[in-house]
Amino acid sequence: MKSSHKGFADGALFALNVFILVLLLAGDSLVVPQWLQPAGRLHPLVLHFPIVILMLAMLMEYFRFRPEFIDEKLYQSFTNYLLVLGALFASITVIMGLLLSHEAGYEGSNLQWHKWFGVGVAFVGYGVYLIRNRERYTATIAKTGALVTVFCLIMAGHFGGNITHGEDFVFGPVMDKDKKQVPINEALVYQDVIAPIFEAKCQSCHNAAKTKGGLKLTDEESILKGGKKGKLFVAGNPQISLLLQRIHLPEAEKKHMPPIGKPQLTDEEKLLLYFWVKNNADFKKKVIDLPATDSLRVIASSFLKPAESTEEAYAFSAASENDIKKLNNNYRVVYPLAAESPALAVNIYNKSTFNVKALEELSPISKQVVSLDLNKMPVKDADLKAVAKLENLRRLVLNFSDVTGKGLKELSGLKNLHSLSLAGVKLTLADIKQLSAIKSLTELAVWDTGLKPDDFKSLQAGNKQLKVLTGFKDDGKPVKLTNPELKNTAVIFSESYPLQLANPIKGVEIRYTTDNSAPDSVRSQLYKRVTVITQSTVIKARAFKTGWLGSDEVQFNVYKCRYTPDSVMFITRPDDKYKGDGAKTIIDKDLGGTGFGNGKWLASQKDLEMMMWFNKPIEMHSLELNTMRNIGSQIFLAASIEVWGGADKDHLKLLSILKTATPLKADAFGLVPLSCKLKTPQKVACIKLIAKPIKVVPDWHSAKGKPGWVFMDELFIN
Amino acid sequence: MEKDFLESRLNINRRRFLSRLSLGIGSVALGSLLIPDLFSGKGDEAEADFIAGIPNFAPKAKRVIYLFQDGAPSQLESFDYKPKLRQMMGQELPPSVRGDQILTGMTAKQASFPLVGSFYDFKQYGESRAWISDLFPHIGKIADDICIIRSMNTDAINHDPALTFFQTGAQQGNRPSMGSWVSYGLGSENKNLPAFTVLLSKGKGNGQGVYSKLWSNGFLDSIHQGVQFSSGEDPILYLNDPEGLNRHERRKMLDNLAALNDINYKQFGDPEINTKIQQYEMAYRMQTAVPEIMDVSKESDDIVKMYGPECLIPGTYAANCLLARKLSENGVRFVQLYHQGWDQHNNLPQEMAGQAKDVDQASAALVTDLKQRGLLDETLVIWGGEFGRTNYSQGKLDVANYGRDHHPRCFSVWMAGGGIKPGMVYGESDEFGYNIVKDPVHVHDFHATILNQLGIDHKKLTFKSQGRRYRLTDVAGNVVKGIIT
Repeated sequence: MKSSHKGFADGALFALNVFILVLLLAGDSLVVPQWLQPAGRLHPLVLHFPIVILMLAMLMEYFRFRPEFIDEKLYQSFTNYLLVLGALFASITVIMGLLLSHEAGYEGSNLQWHKWFGVGVAFVGYGVYLIRNRERYTATIAKTGALVTVFCLIMAGHFGGNITHGEDFVFGPVMDKDKKQVPINEALVYQDVIAPIFEAKCQSCHNAAKTKGGLKLTDEESILKGGKKGKLFVAGNPQISLLLQRIHLPEAEKKHMPPIGKPQLTDEEKLLLYFWVKNNADFKKKVIDLPATDSLRVIASSFLKPAESTEEAYAFSAASENDIKKLNNNYRVVYPLAAESPALAVNIYNKSTFNVKALEELSPISKQVVSLDLNKMPVKDADLKAVAKLENLRRLVLNFSDVTGKGLKELSGLKNLHSLSLAGVKLTLADIKQLSAIKSLTELAVWDTGLKPDDFKSLQAGNKQLKVLTGFKDDGKPVKLTNPELKNTAVIFSESYPLQLANPIKGVEIRYTTDNSAPDSVRSQLYKRVTVITQSTVIKARAFKTGWLGSDEVQFNVYKCRYTPDSVMFITRPDDKYKGDGAKTIIDKDLGGTGFGNGKWLASQKDLEMMMWFNKPIEMHSLELNTMRNIGSQIFLAASIEVWGGADKDHLKLLSILKTATPLKADAFGLVPLSCKLKTPQKVACIKLIAKPIKVVPDWHSAKGKPGWVFMDELFIN
Repeated sequence: MEKDFLESRLNINRRRFLSRLSLGIGSVALGSLLIPDLFSGKGDEAEADFIAGIPNFAPKAKRVIYLFQDGAPSQLESFDYKPKLRQMMGQELPPSVRGDQILTGMTAKQASFPLVGSFYDFKQYGESRAWISDLFPHIGKIADDICIIRSMNTDAINHDPALTFFQTGAQQGNRPSMGSWVSYGLGSENKNLPAFTVLLSKGKGNGQGVYSKLWSNGFLDSIHQGVQFSSGEDPILYLNDPEGLNRHERRKMLDNLAALNDINYKQFGDPEINTKIQQYEMAYRMQTAVPEIMDVSKESDDIVKMYGPECLIPGTYAANCLLARKLSENGVRFVQLYHQGWDQHNNLPQEMAGQAKDVDQASAALVTDLKQRGLLDETLVIWGGEFGRTNYSQGKLDVANYGRDHHPRCFSVWMAGGGIKPGMVYGESDEFGYNIVKDPVHVHDFHATILNQLGIDHKKLTFKSQGRRYRLTDVAGNVVKGIIT
């Protein structure tokens, strides 16, 4: 080390340490001038230097006399540099700290400990530096000095931390955070509602060690005393209370509390403080002593755990996990009500596999089962003996089981039963009376049990706390039935058609007609079983049932098609947009329905000619073409249909021609079968069909002058 | 390729062990930063705070039936009575009320925003005196059994993100559906049926699609996926045996298949293989359980009158409500219904009447039916759409024909049973029905509350995927204490 530097450093160190002594001796009589305050406030910044440098220096000092280092020049002189630097920083830090400690708000035991350990660091460090090059300085002294300095450093750091961050800052996160929540009926307004707010949001600055503004918020006495600016509040008058003023100032305001940057009070907490002061800032009262509608109580209640904890505490211990596992199978589920709860719920499913063993096997967990669901299981009266053994049962579902009213007496020993569901079980009032010994019962579902409204009343009268669930009552207003449905999947047949009509509602009469007349409930044919139809028919049907309104009328068209050509081809092609699945679309037994764009229709604005062949000649009586009329979309009936037939395509003759009437504006949308009847039946093996659209759309139509469209989806040859 | 084989022989030697160890220690340290509880000494079991299949605390509700009104029904014609809008019919929506609300592309360019009041009158029902529109007389009758929340709000303004948000807690998709979370959290009550089932129906109103991503298991085990029950002969696709195959042969086939799968599992250790075995087994049991549930022929006339005769026509909303009750009664944890057709951008008075007619009676009947069986206590029923609708008319305003655009800021849903306070109205909107003035309930809060009723702490129901833990409520959500008994 250059001697000039060393001399300067030695001098400075000496001077600083003397200054520390002066400051210590001066004690409280010292007044720190304002311009020096910033220097003091830099203490929390500068203190990091001596910590690091001294730690390192003392580590090297500790090993200084090891043989491998003793002749290492660099090691020795570097240690010296570090030591002097560390001691210098330590002294400066201590001075700053002493200046800071004279500012308002720093007191308490943490501060004292911090001060003296800090001073200790500076002095011991300086001492080590002074004597380390003396003759009698040995390894033992070096090690002791190093250890003492480091100890002081750690302690000073610890107490300093307590001052700035509050106690338990370091270990807070790993300490048990789950403070016992106090049930509301025991909670005190101050201790369990208000104090936790102070603790969380205020005490880091207003505690025993750090009383900013002279205010401590740790105990009743200090709170009543208030701070430098006076009393904290006027009991009963929050408007003129300092506490409320400060916390309600805008956050940017300098006097706003908690200061900007610190965790702020929530609106709920502000309200709680407000109402606490308004209620005379009482320190002793219980929350439940307040009137039920009191705002403080209402908000505090949401803050605290509700008194009747939703989790019932069970007196029994948990069942063995092995038992639970064993009892679980595909048709019986046994599961814990919640994690860490000994209570179990059991559901049993599948009628066909149920037998009483499913219940008897529960004996290893008979204490733990609190809920049992036997909905729709064929449980007999005798089986309830096994249920009765589940002594802690709270909830039992027997809806639509095979239990009778008589069997219920088995259950009268279930002293903990809260809820019993008996919907769909045939009962009398006397049957239910057998359960009157169960005082804990609060809910009873008795819908569809045969009990009458008078019985419900008498049940209710017998037990005020019982909720009797009676369910749906038919108000007697008749309801309209749904329409009959056609169950057959096809509507085109070749020989005969087994007509299947149905309605999902039980006990419905379906009446139908086949002569296009409107069906009624008296004269029309009653549909009983599958009826065979042999001709193309329009079926109109309605459903009827006593006590209900009859359904709407529905119409089903079924078509007979005796002969289906073996092959078919276009002579002229249909429009590209409406070519369906090619020529076979016309014989595919799939009707096009009401949507003309669905690919099941063939259409053209020109004459559409088709040729079809039969492998064996047939005797043709008639040919029917199913077409669409939809005037709005320019779809008209064909102007004419020509049917040619013969033994082959070179020997055809005109067999029939059908002309339709001129279209009228009033023509409704419809699916219209155009039927060409032959005067005499003809043997044919080849048929040519020509469908001609109207050449010119009439003048009343918006598309007047253009050719009309003709749409066809199916052909029926008989 | 050759290199891979060589490396696999080297799988663990000393050098590799050490190099892995150094990396290992680093990742353990990093891991402990990312997973705070890693060294908390709680051990593997409790590591997640959460044991799948067991609720955190005693549940109020064991099951959920969610009647989702897809397309977003207008709150102003259903459960949020705003007489002021009728008085101000045709007047401009004050800009101060709208604030900075962004509008959809459908009305953003609209020159004027004329306020429009409900075409339908409102009445007060029950002891709670809740205002309910004349479109829902049956729900009016159960007013004392339900809790109407008038202060729902969401983040999304378009159907798909809003719907996905409601169903999965995130707008983008790929996350598990709420039903899957519940299945994962609580497990199945009945091992013969899936824990999460889905039922679809469609009204005549303007509709929006629903897609299977809404009932996806996301990153959860695929056993938690929603199973769709469709109407018709085959309620669950591919469940029935092919014709000519008897139960015995099917059993033999499954046993052999399971043995093969097990060999694979031992070789690769993929847990999805086990899931697959379990699912085949469950399907086998479902083959007997499902037909029993789908059979409505034994339901009494009272039930048919209650739900309306439509409930016997498969595929209708009423039929799905009845089915939902039967599934729930049989221990299905989460039954998700969707009724499409609630997107009334125009022609609202007429379309909404049709939609309301579809759902009013059956929704109310479901609540009553559960109640009369003593099951409403433990079943949570939820009714609502993905957002609300604007208080101004979309397109030309006509007294009897107007439309409403999407509105995420404020809308109404109702819940019943499952430990929710009956006969109450929670939250409040301003007199324009545009902004919430009291007790807002965000979608995350809604989710947190539902889980809470099921005995699950929404902060603890987590699943780790791609390096981070996910929750249904993501990083938000507060239980709405005000609606809990």
